[in-house]
Amino acid sequence: MVNQIFYLITVPMVYVAVAWCIVGIVVKVARVAKAPAHPFTLKVFPDKDHPVPSPVWGALSMPTVRRHNPTFWVFLILFHLGIAVLILAHLDLLPWFNIYPEDSEHMIGNGAVGVVVTTAILYFLLRRFASPLREISVPADYLLLFLLFCTAMSGDIISWANSWSENGFVLTKQDFGAYLNGLFHFSWADPAEAIDGGHYVVLVVHVFLANLFLMVLPFSKIMHTFFAIPLNKLRRG
Amino acid sequence: MEAKLKQELIETFGERLTKAAKMYLDNCSRCGLCIEACHAYASSPETRYTAVGRAQNIRRLYEEYFKKGKIAKKLNEAVELDDHWMEKVYETAYTCTGCRRCMTYCPFGIDTGVIQGIAKMLLITADQEPKTLTMLADMSIAKAKTIEKTKENFAAAAKNLEAEVLQRWRSEGGEEVVPLDVQDANVLYVALAGKHSIIPAAAIMNAAKEKWSLSYFEAVNFGAFVGNPAKTKEIAGRIIEEAKRLNIKEVVICECGTAYRVMKHMSGEKPFKVITFAELIARYVEQGRIKLDKSKLPAKVTYHDPCQIARQGGIYEQPRYVLGQLTDNFVEMTPNRQANWCCGGGGGLVAMGEKDFRMKSAKVKADQVKATGAEVLCTACENCHTQLSDLNEHYGLGVKVEYLSDLTAKALVQD
Ligand code: HEM
Ligand code: SF4
Ligand code: SF4
Repeated sequence: MVNQIFYLITVPMVYVAVAWCIVGIVVKVARVAKAPAHPFTLKVFPDKDHPVPSPVWGALSMPTVRRHNPTFWVFLILFHLGIAVLILAHLDLLPWFNIYPEDSEHMIGNGAVGVVVTTAILYFLLRRFASPLREISVPADYLLLFLLFCTAMSGDIISWANSWSENGFVLTKQDFGAYLNGLFHFSWADPAEAIDGGHYVVLVVHVFLANLFLMVLPFSKIMHTFFAIPLNKLRRG
Repeated sequence: MEAKLKQELIETFGERLTKAAKMYLDNCSRCGLCIEACHAYASSPETRYTAVGRAQNIRRLYEEYFKKGKIAKKLNEAVELDDHWMEKVYETAYTCTGCRRCMTYCPFGIDTGVIQGIAKMLLITADQEPKTLTMLADMSIAKAKTIEKTKENFAAAAKNLEAEVLQRWRSEGGEEVVPLDVQDANVLYVALAGKHSIIPAAAIMNAAKEKWSLSYFEAVNFGAFVGNPAKTKEIAGRIIEEAKRLNIKEVVICECGTAYRVMKHMSGEKPFKVITFAELIARYVEQGRIKLDKSKLPAKVTYHDPCQIARQGGIYEQPRYVLGQLTDNFVEMTPNRQANWCCGGGGGLVAMGEKDFRMKSAKVKADQVKATGAEVLCTACENCHTQLSDLNEHYGLGVKVEYLSDLTAKALVQD
């Protein structure tokens, strides 16, 4: 029974989550694209001391945050860069990407990136419990961060757990690679057969939470991934 | 609330969902960066005076009526629209001045002004908007209908101003002192309903030997204050028609920020240019068409950037250039230009009265002015001028609040 549930999570649910996420994003973006343009300009004017930066730079480097809350900015940048590296690191698990050598035991960053991201999420979450942010936050804000925190934390545990056993690594880049490769080629193989680390259950939890996150994403404020640049373009005019 | 009205309100909301509005409503991450940006919060730290707090009042309705999913609604604190919530909508509409300072803090550049616009339109639909503003807007519109009958009175009133204009600047013989209906004029000057907005301007334009014409219509747009796009368009439309009829090159808006933003940025393509009076003065000085005498202003002067011409219009340097010709004793406020604090009088609040709220919500402005140590507080917007004068009195700032046009006219060198 447990094995079947694990299988459902690690294989079919991944497909459902990814498909759901992609369709959701496309629908959400299309809805905005179809809406009428605003009847007048929403530009804010620049001046010599504080040029409003170009939309892309403004979205990616968040100069307004840097200016008005440098601590928050540091965490935001670490978090977003961390996410970018983690996306890359997950792709790198696949056998045909080899940013880290194929026979490496670690994923890109040796687990440190995950810790940075987890810390940043914890900071985002904790600051929401303090006034005045507390008053403007809604339950979805906490839950989303909590979900992200658990996802990141379970990821951290997977990489940390590799040092638990006497003889070192149990789950390596190649093990995960085999699993992802199977998913990619629709082999429908049960990863439990290839991966036999004692903390396999943590991997299942990680995959489950990631699936949830992907399914929530199109309905959440993380859609700002796709709208941050168009939004900054409105301000830039 | 009646079901029929509620339905109408939801439809009104739906009609306002442009690309921008949707993105603003969907993507706020409630990061709280905009909290510190608002003068109302900086003066009186309550959640309802934050940009995000005001936006949430509208966003929570959006979650209820334009999003699906029971759980998602709960998690996003969606609310039903009822009489109680309309009070929140009112707060969003009329505790915000539309200064858009928060937009320069937000990582996404969310424009609280657009969300405020939705709130204002909901109030109009529910017949709960401030009646003073609607009445003033309707009067402006009615004036266009009876203009032919009132032209004579207007001409007589303009004639009455001549003596005072001539005190400021002796026009050469044969010239109209306050010209009306000048075909093919370079400038159509759009004033406010008060001689203080005509006399200095007339003297300056006459001194520069400008071929100008005074508009029959006042610049101020109460349609924009009350947030009614149809009325806004009609009110601006009167001036556009007049400018077209006279084949005007440039429409120059007097010191009224909202009128400028509406005419320049919210009225579509026009066959003429639109500039502020501050730009015109700067041009005259630059071209040597007027000369200014610095001895006329022997005081420490500071300048308040009106949001609607500065942040919303990019007019930062021209007024400073003119002030540079008026005094050697100029001091900047901190912060200034794009980051300047709003005076706290925008969005219709001055016209509505609302003195208690205006004073309470603009303490930070008063402190900012005081910190400059200036004796003269210059600005280029009627609305700001009124609010700053009220602040001056209320907080005992001991400054003289002056218009840029007036300071300029008083310093004209008679050659
Ligand atoms: C081009 C891509 C992206 C851009 C430009 C961007 C931009 C931003 C900005 C400006 C903020 C600051 C506002 C805030 O504090 O919430 C932010 C916050 C955040 N972003 Fe992104 N983002 C991007 C992608 C992503 C992705 C892929 C994720 C996925 C996990 C993500 C998750 C978050 C989270 C969790 C926060 C913090 C929210 C909070 O404080 O509650 N972002 N992002
Ligand atoms: S537009 Fe101005 S008044 Fe309104 S919320 Fe933003 S900062 Fe405050
Ligand atoms: S700064 Fe922008 S994203 Fe952050 S809470 Fe304010 S409006 Fe929302």
